[in-house]
Amino acid sequence: MKGLKVGMISFAHGHAYSYFHSLRQIPEVQIVGIADEVRSRVDSIVGEYGVPYFADYRELLAQDVDAVVICSENAHHAQMAIDAANAKKHVLCEKPLGTTLEEMERMIAACKDNGVQLMTAFPCRYLAAVVRAKEAVERGDIGDIVAIKGTNHGGNPGSWFIDKQLSGGGAAMDHTVHVMDLMNWLLQSKVTEVYAYAATLFQEDLGVDDAGMVHIKFENGVFAALDTSWSRPKSFPTWGDVTMEIVGTKGVISVDGFAQHNDLYSDEAGKGLWTYWGDDMDAYMVKDFVRALLQGEPVPVTGEDGLRSTQVALAAYESVKLGQPVAL
Amino acid sequence: MKIAVVGCGGMGHVHALEFAKMPNVELVGVCDIVPELAESLAQQTGTSAFTSFDAMMSSVEADIVSVAVPSYLHKELVIQAAAAGKHVICEKPIALNVEDAEEMVRVCEANGVQLFVGHVVRFFPEYAQIKHQIDAGQIGKVGVANAKRVGAHPGNVKSWYKEADKSGGVIVDLMVHDIDFMRWALGEVKSVYGMNKYDDDMDYALVTLVFESGAVANLEAFWGYPGSFHYTAEFAGTAGLVQSDSLKTQSLQIRNSEAEADGGNFVEIPQSPGYRNPYTVELEHFIGCIRDGIEPIVTARDACRALTIAAAAQESIRTGKAVLL
Ligand SMILES: NC(=O)c1ccc[n+]([C@@H]2O[C@H](COP(=O)([O-])OP(=O)(O)OC[C@H]3O[C@@H](n4cnc5c(N)ncnc54)[C@H](O)[C@@H]3O)[C@@H](O)[C@H]2O)c1
Repeated sequence: MKGLKVGMISFAHGHAYSYFHSLRQIPEVQIVGIADEVRSRVDSIVGEYGVPYFADYRELLAQDVDAVVICSENAHHAQMAIDAANAKKHVLCEKPLGTTLEEMERMIAACKDNGVQLMTAFPCRYLAAVVRAKEAVERGDIGDIVAIKGTNHGGNPGSWFIDKQLSGGGAAMDHTVHVMDLMNWLLQSKVTEVYAYAATLFQEDLGVDDAGMVHIKFENGVFAALDTSWSRPKSFPTWGDVTMEIVGTKGVISVDGFAQHNDLYSDEAGKGLWTYWGDDMDAYMVKDFVRALLQGEPVPVTGEDGLRSTQVALAAYESVKLGQPVAL
Repeated sequence: MKIAVVGCGGMGHVHALEFAKMPNVELVGVCDIVPELAESLAQQTGTSAFTSFDAMMSSVEADIVSVAVPSYLHKELVIQAAAAGKHVICEKPIALNVEDAEEMVRVCEANGVQLFVGHVVRFFPEYAQIKHQIDAGQIGKVGVANAKRVGAHPGNVKSWYKEADKSGGVIVDLMVHDIDFMRWALGEVKSVYGMNKYDDDMDYALVTLVFESGAVANLEAFWGYPGSFHYTAEFAGTAGLVQSDSLKTQSLQIRNSEAEADGGNFVEIPQSPGYRNPYTVELEHFIGCIRDGIEPIVTARDACRALTIAAAAQESIRTGKAVLL
């Protein structure tokens, strides 16, 4: 079987470490280089695994590479993805796909024009509970979906996430897109309206929103509410959650994506911890990206998917400004 | 203190049985338009049965009337009781619309009687504890809250619950518990946004409240949930977070294998027993307030505000807009 040469661009988003280790586990993949203008972020990986390092991602793009994984600050996704596309590399881009609609459209167009594929990194699609929920919905186990109450809680990630110039927004930007993508995937219906509240409630003088409640209406009549808040305190036993209560005409599906955990009480941690033991969604996502490219199939989660869910986050900020719903 | 109970259905039973147990309270009568219901409850509690409110009021001396009739009849009976000079304990919701509720409050004030509304969630120990923890600053300033209250459709057992003009629907009847609690915990509400699916089998609502403080709460209420009744609440603040989930606090499970004979199933009854149930605490508190002339933990004004917020949610559902209060 033919192999895939993969390069990684930027480790600004911590998911890059997990994607790196996921890639390493795939026999067909050869990691040909890591580019990051901040060397300290990748020093240990470059040293330990002997991966070639590039300070400038354009140098990496000049190598013999089939595909790149982009985990830069949100504001840099577009330029990097477009440069990669022009260099004829397939792209797996961290969410949110971009920070403006226009940016994301250019990314999609550049990939299309260059005949390369663009995948948005939505690992939650690979949570086993989510996959089973999707199957149950398709079997008609709960009749027609009526409404969804979702949460994607987390703690304040700090760093560039709280710098609007680099992130494009706070919690509503960071945490609308995952569950929004799951809802789009489950419902296969267009979003028609968004109403949102977002504010800075957990940390004074934070430059971005850290609390959010996003409400979505779909063309098929389904409505949904999503708590996007960075509301988990330091004392909380885990990083956050991804949950969905999917209400149907004939039943309810409750998804608690990270419920598979033990309760660990260690004096060293000074607090109780939920230690996750479920399947590694990142590994399954990366594997599927590689599989699609090797088999010449369409990637399972597209750039359009990334745009659709980010568009809701952008509409949410519009709605916050107006204090009323906005049509999409 | 002498008490008469009107309405001998689900809540009428709870009220009458509680009053019958209280040492300083005498249950002087119960009434229901369904004679068998009144009689059986009277028998259980050792009091007299009546088939109309008028008949009961003309035959017994009462200081307090406890109203446990379907919600659309609250106004009529509360006003009759107040006009007769009786203090009133009324089940929630206070009424089905704000004008009626305010009229009830006015009539009670004009007649010099007190009006208490059964927003019992404030008396549930897990909720009382949350309120205490928030007030004590244990989670800092609250930013985001979520609450949920779901169960079977009560209209499958008592048909009036399915008629919106009689019960008010899931927001006015069920979510009003969480609306009141949120307002108690987080203060006044400045805007309301709601979404709802309503048909004969289900009534499902998601409502978001934004508070004067800037905090936000999303409430979920569901009649027609395919599972056992349960509720959850979560408050996240600048210095911590508190969660409560009724499914996780069942301190007793009784499992009976004998039922296996019929149907091959076993019977499982999860419970969260306490020596004093929240209704005991609530009703004793109301009686104590009348006796000692003190302000109740939940006032009739609070009940009006909760209803105002519920009505705003319904307006938001109708218009599709956020409603400013
Ligand atoms: N606090 C709580 O937790 C809680 C729980 C359930 C219900 N409730 C409230 O309690 C009230 C009663 O609900 P329920 O579930 O007990 O209803 P229910 O239908 O079981 O009981 C109502 C009873 O009132 C009787 N009635 C009707 N008209 C009457 C009249 N004019 N005079 C005398 N009796 C009359 C009916 O025959 C019926 O027996 C409602 O307002 C409901 O919202 C509160």
